[in-house]
Amino acid sequence: MEQELKELRRQIFLTGYSVNIAHIASAFSIVEILYSLYINHNLKYDSKNPNMENRDLFILSKGHGSLALYTILCKAGFFDKKFLASFCKPGSVLGGEPCIPHIPGIEATTGSLGHGLSLGVGMALAKKLDGKKEKVYVLLGDGECEEGTVWEAIMFAAHYKLDNLVAIVDCNKIQKMGSLEAIMSIPSWKERFLSFGWQVEEVNGHDVNALDQLFQKENNIGKPFVILANTIKGKGVSIIENDPRWHWRLPNKKELKTFTAELEISEEEIQTCRKAI
Amino acid sequence: MQKSYINSLYQLLKKDKNVISCLSDSGTDYDEMIAREFPNQVINFGIGENNKVAAAAGLASCGKIPFVYTTSAFLAYRSYEFIRNDVCIQNKNVKLIGMGSGLAWSTLGVTHHTTEDIAALKALPNLTILSPCSPKELEKCIHAAYEINGPVYVRMGMSNEMEIYPDDCTFKLGKNNVLLEGNRGTIFTTGSITSEVLSATKRLSDEGFSLEVVNISTIKPFDQQSVIEECKKNSVIFSVEEHNVIGGIGSSIADVIAENKLDVELIKIGLADTFAVGYGTHSQVLEMNRLDKNNIYEIIKNKLS
Repeated sequence: MEQELKELRRQIFLTGYSVNIAHIASAFSIVEILYSLYINHNLKYDSKNPNMENRDLFILSKGHGSLALYTILCKAGFFDKKFLASFCKPGSVLGGEPCIPHIPGIEATTGSLGHGLSLGVGMALAKKLDGKKEKVYVLLGDGECEEGTVWEAIMFAAHYKLDNLVAIVDCNKIQKMGSLEAIMSIPSWKERFLSFGWQVEEVNGHDVNALDQLFQKENNIGKPFVILANTIKGKGVSIIENDPRWHWRLPNKKELKTFTAELEISEEEIQTCRKAI
Repeated sequence: MQKSYINSLYQLLKKDKNVISCLSDSGTDYDEMIAREFPNQVINFGIGENNKVAAAAGLASCGKIPFVYTTSAFLAYRSYEFIRNDVCIQNKNVKLIGMGSGLAWSTLGVTHHTTEDIAALKALPNLTILSPCSPKELEKCIHAAYEINGPVYVRMGMSNEMEIYPDDCTFKLGKNNVLLEGNRGTIFTTGSITSEVLSATKRLSDEGFSLEVVNISTIKPFDQQSVIEECKKNSVIFSVEEHNVIGGIGSSIADVIAENKLDVELIKIGLADTFAVGYGTHSQVLEMNRLDKNNIYEIIKNKLS
């Protein structure tokens, strides 16, 4: 599994590097969360029939992590590598933020922060009203939770007892301009969610087994469920880990050596990317 | 119009269990009565319009037909990005019902007025905009909105609008409606100010100025053909709206005139790039802002004399 996770990060980096754009660090922090949902099938889906009636719904509210999601969807069989390689190139439907309706496996258009959880509560409410069993999963950034709508949705989900809703907060503790602690600190995420009436679990967001256990946990106590996933922004390449400067940046020549060494990328692969640019 | 909305909504809730009335603490006693009969179809989101609009898009993704009802100022302004990103970009089957449009919240002042909503919303792709002028027409608009599989904004008034259609209302989606025929000029109007226009026109008619009055009840898609026809018939065109003259129906008419090289004069009557002022009854606030029947009468008479 370790090798698979490294391969995913390698793919994420190479796809972004070939078009000279990407929120690489934001994508790296959610790889294990998506792996647990899609590759370990904690999410119910059929990649050959993306609109399957009784599928679970997943929304990437922090849309800028799109490359991680596209790479996972590719691995899960929603589309092939050629489709993934079209990322941000003319004629492609794969952009820097997920968009419906042309990408198999994408349920919602996101990008502007603070929309995904509200979309998710609407979906979860519809499922409840219809007596359906499917779940709705929404992955948010911790910085994203500075948007007021997120808390409107949190209140709503608790009041309407949406226990078919699972929110995962990618707690990488860093936003574009610095640490959350410096910009808009939240003393305790756990207490905050508990006080809003949610069921809360904290987990190492890079521990796939621990994530699997939480996703498989029965939730029938009439509360929405939030997983606070403690992650490292930029996880997988030492020089970008926990460094806000890498929110929207690709490596220069010198820095590239660390990427190629740690992600096991060959010179030939880098040359192929350069040709593409 | 509120009573008419409630009646129409009641019919739809009864007819289709997927219709959901989405309130943000914005209902009345009638809504409470309806909620008792349809507990699973009336959802109060509390005072949080943005979550409500996005959640409505989520409901629509799962086959529901949400009717999102609140004061139009809170819908069109506060929730604009949610209307754009979640409802219009994703082309969801959400009905946005803006209540108390124009200056209808006449005692509460400018925060509650909606006088730039047409300008803001008509630039959104995928959105149909309906603007009924009377309770009967509102009923037709609500049923038409239900039949459309996509986003709709209904710009409705409040509670004391006059019924201008004596028998059956002739609403047709996407088509303007000639309310009066005349040969000295054409007045295009929309929404509840139509009754002021009709009063002004009657006085003008008594004084020998025969005017055509056209009700624009579908603001988007805009009935261009109707403008072209009126411009062939009359050389002076007026637009009257409870809205800024920038970006309202007058601007839509101006586009058609320019694009078709029509040789007419256009006089736009509305708020002259200003917020409305004053407090009082709806009629009084219209008067303070020079949008009541007497002012409309004077502007038109001066032009035609």
